[in-house]
Amino acid sequence: MANIATLKPGSTCLLMGNEAVARGVLEAGAGVASGYPGSPSSEVIPALAEAASQTDIYVEWSTNEKVAVEVAAGGSFAGIRSFCVMKQNGANVAADFIVNLNMTGIGGGGLVIFISDDPGGGTSNNEQDSRTIAKWIDNPLMEPSSAQEAKEMIKWAYEVSEAVNLLTFVRGVGRISYTRSNVVPGELPRKAQPEAVFPEIWDRNNPRKSRFTSGPFPVFHAPLHEKLEKAREIFETSPFNSYTGPEKPELLIIACGASTSYCIEGVNELNLEDRVSVLKLGTTWPLPEKLVAKHLKTTCKVLFVEEMDPFVERSVMELAAALLPETAHLTFFGARSGHLTPYGELSTDSVIGALADIMGITYQPRDRAYEEMCVEAAALVPGRPINMCPGCPHRATYWAVKNGLSLDGRNGFVCGDVGCYSMGFAGPGFYQARTMHAMGSGTGLASGLGKLGRFGLDQPVLAICGDSTFYHAVMPALANGVYNNSNFTLLIADNSATAMTGFQPHPGTGQTATGEPAKVVELEAVCRAMGATVETCDPFDLPKTIDTLLKMMAEESGVKVVIMRHMCQLVKGKRKIAPSWKMHVDGSKCLADACGCHRLCTRLFGCPGLMVDGETGKAAIDEALCAGCGLCAQICPAHAIIGEEV
Amino acid sequence: MANGINELFDEVINRGLCAGCGACITGCPYIVAHAGRIVALDKCTGSEGDCYKHCPRTFFDFDGVSEAVFGKAYPGGEMGQVLEIFMARATDPEILKRGQDGGTVTSLLALALEEGLIDAAVSTRMDAEKAPHGSVARSRRELLESAGACYEVGFSLEAYRSLPAESTEKLAIVGTGCQVEALGKIKREPPQNSPDPRNIRFTLGLFCGWALAPGTFHPYLKSLCELSQVCKFEIPPRPRYSFEFHFENDREAGSVSLDVIKPHINSGCHYCWDMTAEFSDVSIGSAETFPGWNTVLVRSPRGAELLALATEKGILETRELPEEKLSHLKWAALQKKRAAVEKITEKSGSKNDLLHIGRPPEESADILSRWNIL
Amino acid sequence: MRPGKLEKEPYNVIIAGVGGQGNVLLSGFIGAALVNEGFMVSVADTFGVSQRGGSVASHIKISRKTLYSSVTLKGKADLLIGMEPVETLRSLAEFGNPGIISIVNPRPFYPSGGVAYPDLGEVRRAIERMSSRTSYVNVTEEALKMGNPIYSNIILLGAVIGAGVLPLGEESIFPLLAERFPGEILEINLRAFRKGIELVS
Repeated sequence: MANIATLKPGSTCLLMGNEAVARGVLEAGAGVASGYPGSPSSEVIPALAEAASQTDIYVEWSTNEKVAVEVAAGGSFAGIRSFCVMKQNGANVAADFIVNLNMTGIGGGGLVIFISDDPGGGTSNNEQDSRTIAKWIDNPLMEPSSAQEAKEMIKWAYEVSEAVNLLTFVRGVGRISYTRSNVVPGELPRKAQPEAVFPEIWDRNNPRKSRFTSGPFPVFHAPLHEKLEKAREIFETSPFNSYTGPEKPELLIIACGASTSYCIEGVNELNLEDRVSVLKLGTTWPLPEKLVAKHLKTTCKVLFVEEMDPFVERSVMELAAALLPETAHLTFFGARSGHLTPYGELSTDSVIGALADIMGITYQPRDRAYEEMCVEAAALVPGRPINMCPGCPHRATYWAVKNGLSLDGRNGFVCGDVGCYSMGFAGPGFYQARTMHAMGSGTGLASGLGKLGRFGLDQPVLAICGDSTFYHAVMPALANGVYNNSNFTLLIADNSATAMTGFQPHPGTGQTATGEPAKVVELEAVCRAMGATVETCDPFDLPKTIDTLLKMMAEESGVKVVIMRHMCQLVKGKRKIAPSWKMHVDGSKCLADACGCHRLCTRLFGCPGLMVDGETGKAAIDEALCAGCGLCAQICPAHAIIGEEV
Repeated sequence: MANGINELFDEVINRGLCAGCGACITGCPYIVAHAGRIVALDKCTGSEGDCYKHCPRTFFDFDGVSEAVFGKAYPGGEMGQVLEIFMARATDPEILKRGQDGGTVTSLLALALEEGLIDAAVSTRMDAEKAPHGSVARSRRELLESAGACYEVGFSLEAYRSLPAESTEKLAIVGTGCQVEALGKIKREPPQNSPDPRNIRFTLGLFCGWALAPGTFHPYLKSLCELSQVCKFEIPPRPRYSFEFHFENDREAGSVSLDVIKPHINSGCHYCWDMTAEFSDVSIGSAETFPGWNTVLVRSPRGAELLALATEKGILETRELPEEKLSHLKWAALQKKRAAVEKITEKSGSKNDLLHIGRPPEESADILSRWNIL
Repeated sequence: MRPGKLEKEPYNVIIAGVGGQGNVLLSGFIGAALVNEGFMVSVADTFGVSQRGGSVASHIKISRKTLYSSVTLKGKADLLIGMEPVETLRSLAEFGNPGIISIVNPRPFYPSGGVAYPDLGEVRRAIERMSSRTSYVNVTEEALKMGNPIYSNIILLGAVIGAGVLPLGEESIFPLLAERFPGEILEINLRAFRKGIELVS
């Protein structure tokens, strides 16, 4: 990854969407940037953090998204252009603050939030459309269709934000955030940041606002709608809305975001350039109604192409209803008609499918004989379940949990959470994590379940969370459990990183986003101070970990915390920490199918570094993958897996 | 039909029939004993398992096992195959002190080790907190450490598992009826990855009326006394009706009524028909009204040889078992069978279905007639 | 294909592999080299949890004229770089066509969770049947010979450049290697790159 601060203006670079967004933040001259890691948005803050050494921007990883927006809003209140980034789930965490910020408005510096949604949910545990929040709180929203446009749009969003005195959203999707493509950087601002000042009370000479209180809201709510109408006016002539195609198309496609290029490609692929046009909307809330109304009059059929919720589709249909009878001739296609889905990621192929159906065209990319081979090939190809990495400490933790719960024998269960350890709900974690919702929810659920003894719940209640998640949202739930004398055991899988999203530092790592030393907010100290019983284990010491779990679960009341501390294997790799063991299988001891273990190591334990030797049928170590953690030597009942210390 | 771990749990463990012998643990990576229970750590994919096959509470083929152990069909009667009956006690004062009753078991094992007839003895040993575990003794010292009775279920056949499958050590195994039955099944159908059962030179059976469930009994026992100070547990012969625990030095022994103890009896023991460990080479128990003596039932020629050697070497002294004592023993053994059949019928819900001891209807009738309790 | 000359518009490349094998590193080198040569490029890597041992693919769409969307249309791939046999076949089933060229690392990467791997011979035959041209390069084996499986990506990069299936020459790659691997590690990576070229020549 190149340092985005040193890119040459006017040159062409290959940038990921998230890096282009970060460059846009720099080009806009923002002075404060904050965020919480979450794919597909995670790379923006690291790119800015790297740039911080060349520019004067302040960059931080905040403990959660609500705090992140508050940090950025603070910058805005003091007159500094500020920026905040999160994934779709983060918008919910931030919402509690944002639904008040719309009332107070922002300060002297523009405030832009980049939210990256995840259609298809490849890296999320939900598939929500966060655009709704903009409509909910009456603040402006834009959607870029490429990395280059994302960069330009961020810059323009500051102008809109400052013009209407509202927070402005830029909504990306994973496909925009993660696609790398040609981007031409612009100039970075030459002038220094304005002096940051929180305005004095009653200073009538200061044009800035001096109060940011959301009440009394009758005073603020009416002006909010005036601001929104002003934003609509600005959007009517936005450079990010464009039209391509014939003047009177048979079909008008209204598209936004990543879907725009699918439409253009689909139209080209079907040679429909003369019959179908594309109205690309970069500004999707408030809807530029005049612009849309003008184009609705030129056609009889409209197809909406947007990912997830029919957000634009509904706005336009609402407009069409208001414009009746002028719009009575229109037929609408999209999510409502079933031509496209209001879930999952769209593609050029899905747009081609919709176009072919509406325009009555047959589309066959391959001949029949080849299609048949494809069907055969697909049948031959097995699924490839995701897994924890070789050497992952979560595998050790879940193995200990699985065995501990079996030994305990009371049908104990684990409330799961969000992170790599979410994989605990499936084979890699031996199906041990039984719930998965928002960050911190595992502990909140456990706090509630741990109170149900009075109604007969006699199963041990466990919760798991990661170290980063602990600071993000677990602390209030833990305090709740202690305060209300609940009975559960919280496992903190402390792998010294926000591993799922790319090893970002957090309050427990002793390092800030920009690499400066930071005070460590110690897990043990926090949990003890809250009143929990605390033990720390290295999950690779299976016997001790299992004993500790049994001891904790046997306690009849109170909140117990077991900190499972072992560094993420990938972080070890990045820090060039050599493997502890050189593993091999003693062929004379591994009995293969003759052993009563029924392939415990490859079937059940399932570390990717273990395989079955095709010739001997015995277990073997895949040298290309083994991380040398030594755990498998502890689980082989025949003691056939041997680790030699290196 | 599959007979694996799932069936073992459905038919035996979850039904409260488990005797706690530990045979299922032998050679299986998925089954362990923990806190007095049999626990399956994982789902095993095998449809057939030694765990099911060797369990004394799954179908017990009396003639088949008898063939494997004694080379002939099961004779029935109150006490199964018996060659000789007499009383015995150790001559070695150290063994007399450490061992239960007459110290016969420890004496025989010590002799077998000394004479090179065996390399190791598998039995039960109590830890410092007096919880029983399977143990392997390879010297007189280790033997003495494992001497003395523990009345709790110990899953001690697990110790057989700790021996490597390729081991050629000659073994003696000490066990109660359920364990000796499991060993009989193991001899009939050798296990996949435990030592060859032909290495088991002697099986010494212990008389057993019932054992206590560690899950509830051990915490209770702990509340009664400082367990690390206890040197011996004992249930003395009638008319005393108590469970006693003796301490090192001269501290007065503690005692509780058996009525308090009995609720802690392992539920699976109620389904046991085998007071005298009928499939052993030699069975040994208390001689009741003769304190300091054991009752000995010699069942196989190799058992007879070992006893002959012991008397010849003067390690054991023997005397005749009085006739009325013998009839009492037979009566007690038969009572155990009757009680077991009653409990089994209650569980199965049918007089024709005797669960592990007989499948309906012919086999059930067959075993009852051999026991003369039809 | 000669450096700088694109034979088809757009030219669709797919790098198929398993999460953790390093397809992103490979797509990054190729993408950056193409941009430096003046092409319009979209590179889309599988993101998210599939990076943890699941099947992943990077799609590279190359054009002289315009920026396209990043994902290949069904049946429209021109070049398939397979880092693993089953993953190669998976991509062929979706994006293959009679004209496609496949360059494949034949070493299987076994799925975890007890999932059975199909007969390798059958997989190879299917790949060959569905490609206009198939080359196998034993990059993992060569990398292990060099002492670390990590070099297999760079060996594969060398093989792809050496095979002349991209509008790139080795000169387009050298500066990128020097930038990415500063100091002593450059030497071994250059050796890996040349090894790849040698494997296909």
